[in-house]
Amino acid sequence: MTATVPTAIEVRGVAIGYGDRVILRRLDFQVRHGEVFVILGGSGSGKSSVLKAMIGLNEPLEGQVLFDGENLVEAEGAARLRLLRKFGVMYQGGALFGSMTVLENVRLALDEFTDMPPELKDLTALAKLNQVGLLSAASRMPSELSGGMQKRAAIARALALDPGILFLDEPSAGLDPITSAGLDSTIRSLSHGLGITFVIVTHELPSIYAIADRCIMLDSERKTIVAEGRPTDLRDHSDDAYVRQFFLRQAQRAAGAGKGEVAS
Amino acid sequence: MTPLRVELRTGPAGEVLEISGELSGATVVSARSQIIAALAGSRSPSLEVDVRGIDRGDTSGMSLLYELAHGGLADHRRANLQGLRPEFQPLLAAFPSPEEIGRLQPPSVRRGAFEEIGGHVVSVGRDVREQLTFLGAVVQALAMGVVSRRRMRWPEVAVVFEKAGVNAVPIVALISLLTGVIIAFESAQPLAMFGAQVYTANIIGIAMIREFSPIFTAIILAGRSGSAFAAELGTMKVNEELNALTTMGLEPVQFLVVQRILAGMLLMPLLTAFSALAGVLGGVLVMLAMGFPFAQIWNHLEGSVGVSDVLVGAFKAVVFGAIVSALGCLRGLQTKEGPSAVGDSTTRAVVAGILMIIVVDAVFAVLTHVLHV
Repeated sequence: MTATVPTAIEVRGVAIGYGDRVILRRLDFQVRHGEVFVILGGSGSGKSSVLKAMIGLNEPLEGQVLFDGENLVEAEGAARLRLLRKFGVMYQGGALFGSMTVLENVRLALDEFTDMPPELKDLTALAKLNQVGLLSAASRMPSELSGGMQKRAAIARALALDPGILFLDEPSAGLDPITSAGLDSTIRSLSHGLGITFVIVTHELPSIYAIADRCIMLDSERKTIVAEGRPTDLRDHSDDAYVRQFFLRQAQRAAGAGKGEVAS
Repeated sequence: MTPLRVELRTGPAGEVLEISGELSGATVVSARSQIIAALAGSRSPSLEVDVRGIDRGDTSGMSLLYELAHGGLADHRRANLQGLRPEFQPLLAAFPSPEEIGRLQPPSVRRGAFEEIGGHVVSVGRDVREQLTFLGAVVQALAMGVVSRRRMRWPEVAVVFEKAGVNAVPIVALISLLTGVIIAFESAQPLAMFGAQVYTANIIGIAMIREFSPIFTAIILAGRSGSAFAAELGTMKVNEELNALTTMGLEPVQFLVVQRILAGMLLMPLLTAFSALAGVLGGVLVMLAMGFPFAQIWNHLEGSVGVSDVLVGAFKAVVFGAIVSALGCLRGLQTKEGPSAVGDSTTRAVVAGILMIIVVDAVFAVLTHVLHV
């Protein structure tokens, strides 16, 4: 496609597993600057494991994860910290620090990594909360927020130091359709307005169509990427039975040769 | 990328502050002090700021422009920003207006002294009521457990018995042995002044069996197991496991609490007996080292410690066991929401457990004195 857009993240020959058990292998894909990139797959296909490998939480069995050409897997010390500063992460449950207010959560990175005067830190944190539509919740505790608000606050916290890349783990999980759509529009506005690159793990179809520029799909049986492209293209033109099933929400896989469809 | 530069120029239309280069979290502090320095001599009523030259920036940097634009840096003169590059405009636009920020200040809640006192009284009353309700539920559940063997869930009692009792034997034995040694050394000195050193044996016997063994064992139980009960039940509450039990028709008190209290009541006398044995042994070792023959020590022990002392110690142990286990479970069940809730419950369980042990022991001291046992 567009070879002119530079690559933000390159995953090269990554294999993921725990101990002797290999979950996924031969993972090769690129995320371009400014795009919304979605990692798809059924439950248990290892989507979140891929995300954890990309953000350096779990070391892959083999392969490289390159941010602007630098390998996060082998980076240590100051070099690793510099790479970590390139991205922010929203965890599935938000993972807000429960003993701090929402504003303090967002301000934490500013407190730790900048020497700005306190009033500017507060202003910056409020701007981040304003960007995700949570200004009025600034002085509340995380436990007082709904699930959707917690995720928004987590996005604001991830944005605190203006990273170019945001990783979101299951942003729609546990949210009602309206809240989920609201979160999608926040993601779109951050992507269009600020040019932030998104890497999102999800299996919510409406969300995928609404936000994804490109996606890859993982399959736990073949243990690798089975499709890559625009979600609508995969839905309409994929010749892979599993991919079609996923997008058409059909039950039970067709088992290779196809033993006959089972009603969903 | 060019380095940050701040300059005040006088042009045909008056003074213009020019900011160029990188304005980000890394440079914002120096930019701010440079701006304050540059504006120190300026007296012009309006403030024009030329920001065309800013070629790199982030939200942290933009916060400075926001501050300038709303009069935060130049004696309330609001700056007029000119020529901000389009890529930075969304960042600057993200800042809420000062009015919106002003509305965020939470209304200060100041309560009067009487309201504070009243609030505390009400909360103490509520706590007492909860404890009474809990006591009632426990008694009822214990009775149910006696009637129906299945409801008692004896395997669970055995598990708790092993964890809280058997596994505590080494630490209880060690602490009691050393306590016996300490008491023997400390009492031998003053008794020697009266030539009554041999009565050290009497002191060790009475002190360990009636007082120290039950108290120390109960304190160890509170620290080891009361806290564990609170953490266990608290985590279950946070994970909605207690709700799951309730909706399945299983009362948490019947299902989880009674077993722990019963195990506590059963293990405490045995653990206390161990403790007394170890404590007396410690004292005897010290006396042997002082040169007293074993037969003499044994005579004094046998003569001073009666059946009533052993019974008082054992009875205390049962009561302490019930108190420590029950408070641990109650604090666990009272766990609130939030990440520090389980920690708070654990602390409360240990503190309340130890406090109640001492209070009840004082009551026992008065009662046994009055009843001459």
